Amino acid sequence: MRGTLLYIGQRLVLIAVTTVLVSSIVFLLLHQIPGNAFLNETRQTPQALAAELHRYGLDLPLQNQYVNWVQGVLHGNLGESLVNRQVKITPLLVRETSVSATVGFFALLVTVGLGLILGVLAALRQNTWVDYLASSTAVVGYSIPSFVIAIFGLLVFGHYLYLWTQGTFYYVPGWGKLEQIPVPALALGLPYASYVARLTRASMLETIRTDYVRTAWAKGLKARVVVVRHALRNALIPVVTILGPLITGIITGSVVIENIFGIPGLGKEFVTSILARDYNIVIGVFTFYAALVGLANLTVDVIYPILDPRIRY
Amino acid sequence: MAQAAPVIQPDLELSYEMPEQVTLLSDAWRRLKRNRLALVGAVIIGLLFVTALISIVWTPYPTWLQAVGPTYQPPSAAHPLGLDQAGRDILSRIMGGALITVQVGVGSAIIVSLIGIPLGLLAGFYRGKVDTVISFFINIWYGIPDLLVALILVFVLSDALHLIPRGVLVIVIAFSLTRWMDVARLVRGQALALREREFVEAARMSGARDFALLARHILPNALGPIIVQATFAIPAAVLFEAFLSFLGLGLPSPTPSWGAMAADGYHGMDFAPHIVLAPTIALSLTLMAFNWVGDGLRDAFDPRMRR
Repeated sequence: MRGTLLYIGQRLVLIAVTTVLVSSIVFLLLHQIPGNAFLNETRQTPQALAAELHRYGLDLPLQNQYVNWVQGVLHGNLGESLVNRQVKITPLLVRETSVSATVGFFALLVTVGLGLILGVLAALRQNTWVDYLASSTAVVGYSIPSFVIAIFGLLVFGHYLYLWTQGTFYYVPGWGKLEQIPVPALALGLPYASYVARLTRASMLETIRTDYVRTAWAKGLKARVVVVRHALRNALIPVVTILGPLITGIITGSVVIENIFGIPGLGKEFVTSILARDYNIVIGVFTFYAALVGLANLTVDVIYPILDPRIRY
Repeated sequence: MAQAAPVIQPDLELSYEMPEQVTLLSDAWRRLKRNRLALVGAVIIGLLFVTALISIVWTPYPTWLQAVGPTYQPPSAAHPLGLDQAGRDILSRIMGGALITVQVGVGSAIIVSLIGIPLGLLAGFYRGKVDTVISFFINIWYGIPDLLVALILVFVLSDALHLIPRGVLVIVIAFSLTRWMDVARLVRGQALALREREFVEAARMSGARDFALLARHILPNALGPIIVQATFAIPAAVLFEAFLSFLGLGLPSPTPSWGAMAADGYHGMDFAPHIVLAPTIALSLTLMAFNWVGDGLRDAFDPRMRR
């Protein structure tokens, strides 16, 4: 237990370092850009511009700005939006992260749930039509990008469903209602679900042929117990190893999904602020993303030994 | 009478001693041919390349030409895939998009390999401090949301600093700078394993220099996995370009990028779904084909993976 806590502590420090490093790169990159968010404001006197720059500390030498910024990050303060005055970035992004995390969580549920079900079914009914259907779905689904699924989701659930049900039941893009979650979550999770299904099938096929599974059958255990407790638990291990990259993929994928479905999360903020040249927010979003990816990977590594007691720190 | 029949045994024995000589590539090719999904993928990729080549010299209409007919016109005999919201011929634009897809995919695969192979070889061959430094960077890079950094790189390099015009090149560079780790990590592992093998040791004993060892003994033996990894970089890069162009941050407007075409059609989806269908289907098929061929190549180069 103490070892685990120590390990988690070490990882948290590493995540903090990585986050600051990664966002530093973005900070330095974005500060190479000539011009600033205020240039598009009309009828601006040089004095007013200088006052604006001073207000945000943008008139300081780069190294001072950088030191200020790092101090801010370490205190959890990411500064103020350059475009919408008086808007503090940290609370804004915390709010948006909760939205993104909700979508991401349901997407992960789709990915793992659907992937496991398809994979296990395909393995148990190997070389039957169930297997062929599940496997070919997986092999096709993996290659269809999430934004394409999103477009088709909008078309089917937003447009055709509206026509079929005469406008009584359909999907409205946006955020805030419970029924607005499934379509984006499906679009985001489906490509990875096929990946999980493929992986689960392969490792399931391996485990159901092992001696201990045969023993479990021979003991007369119920099919559910054998499949879930003996076979699936061991087949899950390779699936858990890819959860890290998977979560990164879902986080990156959410950028385009949030923009298509009009979900006010981190991804939408990211694109909006890049286009508006609100660099403070861009850097802030990045800091959040880097931390999120790190924390997600850590969570996976903590779950790992629970599934596979052979692994210890 | 006493004449004995000629003995032909040795010939037979010889054929036991020496199995048919096969090179890495011909062996892989033989296995690849048996994989039907990979063959279908290869045919699709072949079509993609041919279409891309044709589009250089000929498309039914110029890809940028607007109002060749009524806007939003559904598929007809004159325009097999219909016209988009600006009255441009979608078939021509799909063909032009094939060229862009090929450029982005192949370009990225090459640059990713050019960055990843030397770094991986150095780390795996010299080990020690060199390996520590390179592995540190590989691990840091794995921790970042790659697509988002690439997105910012495209923006900074072309829009803000005007170093590279917003086009295929900047996308390839941004992608490669954020995705070189896969190849590097793979080559590092291969080099670590191969440097201990007898034939490398023998070459070293006979006085081969480090460079010769790396270039003539280690790299050729790691080629199979490298080809597989580079193949998987192609769909990733193609997807990245589509992703950027769909968000409006990729290739500039008249360029017939499939991602941008999907974004164009997305707004008129309710009454003209053909605009969004053509590019998304083309994109999905292409990604599928590359993934299938990649899977096929992986199985072909790695006999242990055979099912």
